Amino acid sequence: MKTTLISGAAVLALTTGMSVAQSLEFPIGEGEFNWDSYQSFADSHDLSGQSMDITGPWTGADDALFSNVIAYFEEATGASVNYSGSDSFEQDIVISTEANSAPNIAVFPQPGLIADLARRGEITPLGEETSSWIAENYAAGDSWVDLATFSGPDGEELFAFPYKIDVKSLVWYVPEQFEEAGYEIPESYEELKELTQQMADDGVTPWCIGLGSGAATGWPATDWVEDLMLRTASPETYDQWVSNEIPFDDPAVVNAIEEYGYFSKNDDFVNGGAAAVATIDFRDAPSGLFSFPPECYMLKQATFIPTFFPEGTELGTDADFFYFPASSEEDLGQPVLGAGTMFAITEDSEAAQAFIEFLQTPIAHELWMAQSGFLTPFTEANAAVFPTDAQRSLNEILTDATTFRFDASDLMPGEIGAGAFWTGMVDFQSGSDAESVAAAIQNRWDQLN
Amino acid sequence: MDNIAGTKSSLTWATHISVVFLVVIWLVPTIGLFVSSFRERDQISASGWWEAPFPVELTARGRTASTAEQEGDLFVVTGNIYDDEEAASYFPDGGSDVVAFGTRGVNPTEFEAGTTADLGDGETLTVNADGTYRWETPEDPGDRGQRVYFAAESPPEFTLANYRQVLTADNMDRAFINTLTVTVPATIIPILVAAFAAYALAWMDFPGRGLLIALVVGLLVVPLQLALVPMLDLHNRIGIGQSFMGIWFAHTAFGMPLAVYLLRNYMVGLPRDIIESAKVDGATDFQLFVKIILPLSLPALAAFSIFQFLWTWNDLLVAKVFLPSDDASKVMTVKIADDLLGSRGGDWGILATAAFVSIAVPLIVFFSMQRFLVRGLLAGSVK
Amino acid sequence: MPVVLQGILTILIGVGGCIAYFYFSNLVLDKVIFPAKGENAGRNINRANQVRPWLFLFPAIFVLGLYLVYPVVGSLIRSFYGRDGQEFVGLTYYALLFSGGDFTRAFLNNLLWVLFVPAASTFIGLVAAQLTDKLSWGNLAKSLIFMPMAISFVGASLIWKFVYANDAEIGLINAIRASLGFENPIDVLQIPFWNNFFLMVILIWIQTGFAMVILSAALRGIPEETIEAAILDGANPWQLFFKIKVPQIMSTIVVVWTTITILVLKVFDIVYTMTGGNFGTEILPSYMMDYFVTSKGYASAIAIVIMITVLPVMIWNIRQARREMR
Repeated sequence: MKTTLISGAAVLALTTGMSVAQSLEFPIGEGEFNWDSYQSFADSHDLSGQSMDITGPWTGADDALFSNVIAYFEEATGASVNYSGSDSFEQDIVISTEANSAPNIAVFPQPGLIADLARRGEITPLGEETSSWIAENYAAGDSWVDLATFSGPDGEELFAFPYKIDVKSLVWYVPEQFEEAGYEIPESYEELKELTQQMADDGVTPWCIGLGSGAATGWPATDWVEDLMLRTASPETYDQWVSNEIPFDDPAVVNAIEEYGYFSKNDDFVNGGAAAVATIDFRDAPSGLFSFPPECYMLKQATFIPTFFPEGTELGTDADFFYFPASSEEDLGQPVLGAGTMFAITEDSEAAQAFIEFLQTPIAHELWMAQSGFLTPFTEANAAVFPTDAQRSLNEILTDATTFRFDASDLMPGEIGAGAFWTGMVDFQSGSDAESVAAAIQNRWDQLN
Repeated sequence: MDNIAGTKSSLTWATHISVVFLVVIWLVPTIGLFVSSFRERDQISASGWWEAPFPVELTARGRTASTAEQEGDLFVVTGNIYDDEEAASYFPDGGSDVVAFGTRGVNPTEFEAGTTADLGDGETLTVNADGTYRWETPEDPGDRGQRVYFAAESPPEFTLANYRQVLTADNMDRAFINTLTVTVPATIIPILVAAFAAYALAWMDFPGRGLLIALVVGLLVVPLQLALVPMLDLHNRIGIGQSFMGIWFAHTAFGMPLAVYLLRNYMVGLPRDIIESAKVDGATDFQLFVKIILPLSLPALAAFSIFQFLWTWNDLLVAKVFLPSDDASKVMTVKIADDLLGSRGGDWGILATAAFVSIAVPLIVFFSMQRFLVRGLLAGSVK
Repeated sequence: MPVVLQGILTILIGVGGCIAYFYFSNLVLDKVIFPAKGENAGRNINRANQVRPWLFLFPAIFVLGLYLVYPVVGSLIRSFYGRDGQEFVGLTYYALLFSGGDFTRAFLNNLLWVLFVPAASTFIGLVAAQLTDKLSWGNLAKSLIFMPMAISFVGASLIWKFVYANDAEIGLINAIRASLGFENPIDVLQIPFWNNFFLMVILIWIQTGFAMVILSAALRGIPEETIEAAILDGANPWQLFFKIKVPQIMSTIVVVWTTITILVLKVFDIVYTMTGGNFGTEILPSYMMDYFVTSKGYASAIAIVIMITVLPVMIWNIRQARREMR
């Protein structure tokens, strides 16, 4: 704490009187929530008068959902919490840690970035206890611990707490439109391609794809490529790709990018034509599913996307999903791609520690599960609070997976996974060929050291 | 003579027309933003802002009732499509005339209103302009009515809902106050500092004066990008970090060359005899400055403050670097660029409103103080 | 609102501090260090007057030095050091700059901006100035064309999104295309090479008013006799404008041109909000911001390149200023 009086006063001035008491989304004590865990947390934590800041990548609708969860933490502890989201979170957090104006907790969408900051000693390790808690309570706990463990100034430690997991290998559709047009849900990757072609032949547009995401424009395409990687190459190849043991312009990767191009670069296959894909915002892309006539029939996006469906859309009836199918020709199992956000303490305080403990209660998970777009490997969280069967069955995709891989771009070094890969995909979308794009990304990777 | 007068008047007409043309081109984009900020999301995506005064054709869907009456072999369902909750939800102000309808999402306007559509298998459906329908089917519909898509005109609608949303829910109010907090000190402080320096450079004799003036002129050009990395490092080292304090300093410094330059150019032009005679009367430089130079330089001071105000109000880069990125200190430009543009990417009404809120104050300042601005500009750049 | 209070406090401290500084430093100089009485009164007054200019100048020089002169040196040094600012890497970043395709693209785009935006703004501004000068409603027209000057680059970008949008129901350009019978909307921000010009239009839209206002004043400053003489000699309006008026105000045109050129090299907002540097529209200021976080050394090297690009303008400006002073 080297901050001087001036900035101390400034921070104080900024934070006091900021938080407005939020109304609680679900009445305490009602429903199938584990309210006991809430009560015991509330009883053991009193942070009245304290305040803390959290920053993260969630803006708009997601921001509102998370704020609803925070409200319970505030209610339980008496602390006030200010959450702010930004589209350029990845840049902002680096600048603010250097400027000593870091929030207490930062929500990282990408483990790669945590590794950087942990190495520089900007992040407070969470300790053995949290580490073993995750290992015991999360499904496949050890792999989550591995994912959040980085080398810091004092060696390998757990630096982040995974909370809110997304499964990415999903295709969203409107059952009624499929029914009217007589389309069947594809069982294999080959059938998916046939269906795509068939829709185009029928004169309708199969896909909505949007890569726009402010400073992070391009990332939805990286999800496509990763999923296609898992369907055209072995998981081992995928791992080698992530760690750069095979170059980015390896034929396997180039092939996956070209597979993505099969869908996204065909004017007949995507809403608005291939050129529109790069600028349509990913949060905007789903609207095409719900217009009449439908602007598209399918959308490949992660579990969080229903948050951006039109208000009142009921999962299971108005919209549903199917597993982005695996290849029937190649024996690669049922691969599932996933990702998750990680909470890390960037400015230690009592409230920040308490918040991480709060995340270890079932109620913290259930509160978001009961809203929308939330999955968790926390086995004690009650799946009954999911508002629809559709969301419950999402969990099954997670459990049925024979191969689970974490989002490659999130694991690559920040400059690649949150930079060159994104912009490279935009270049590819707007005309460059797969090989030169992949070579350019590899070139950036070579320059890293 | 007639001939000359003729070409002259045609030239005048050409001038009028070209200026009108130019003004229209210059104004149209802003008008588009302004109009859009009062329109609803559905209307914006259904028709362009230039069609805002006209009704919009919206495509909606609903479901017929399922309680059938048997008429011979047929089951007949009648009712009004606007009685369906889903259909009505598209038209909060009550439904208007149905233009066309259909039963398949692929072709929601397959049949004209009032005609009878043959749905195959002996099924028919008629939807009239007033929303009443008659569905005939050989089989008992059970508990599920027929899906109906239809297009109906929605009257033009202007609303303040976007403004309410932006100013209350989207934290723009906070950003507005933050912008103001950045702008006011960053406008006022440099004026005084610069005025003293400008006076020294204009009316005091000392070695190195020419060199200093040249330096100021040179610094006018230094790209502020250069300052970002070293100054943020420095702020971090001395403990200011990212804070309002830091951005006030930064804006003060970045505005300084222009302030000194503008004010010096203006002060040099002040009448020499007034200053000389005041000196003869025994006024000190400080008195001279406060009592004579400052009041006389008001137009230039006003011009610079307008400039600096617009510049700091509209700045994105300095705010992104020197202010923390949380909602508590985001200014409007950052708020729009890093938050709304993404999370509200497709919500054009909200975006337009946010933009309009952010440009309203500068526009008011601009139109009310234009005279000073022009005068100051001229003092600075026309000799 | 504590922040507002803090702001008011800052204004008070800032303004009060300035006044107090100037007042008391003068007082100290005159009464304590070099008192204008006693045996050395005359000498003291002279000495005090030699020191006084520096009292007046000190605060300005201090912030200028700190925020504008020091960074030139600071950035230069930073650009020789690695990612964390520890390890010396020499000219590596400069070598990297000129080996990478991205930088070349940003540099060339920037060159386009520097050439096209000032030229177009000045030209349209000049024409607008000439046209509006004669009209009864000229002042109104001027004020409307001048208006975008007050709009932020972010606001202007949003305004133009309503013109460029890839949707015939929102974007004006596509609406016009649709009414002309073209079927598919196009995204003008993705047309290779030309998309740069669509971005430049936004800046031209903002800057033309500035050029117009200054040039219009310059046009009015041309002596009546010159114009009358030309008319008597039978010059037609075109000749009058291009052969007589334009050469007369050439120096003002140059000032306007260079002012806009300098501005162009600072603007990153438009590219940031419109395309984020994608689709081959990266320019140096936005390219620098891409690296601002990940590699400060590289970002500093880019800043130095921007600095070198404006150097000729700077030198020209200084020479001009010195000539005027003589």
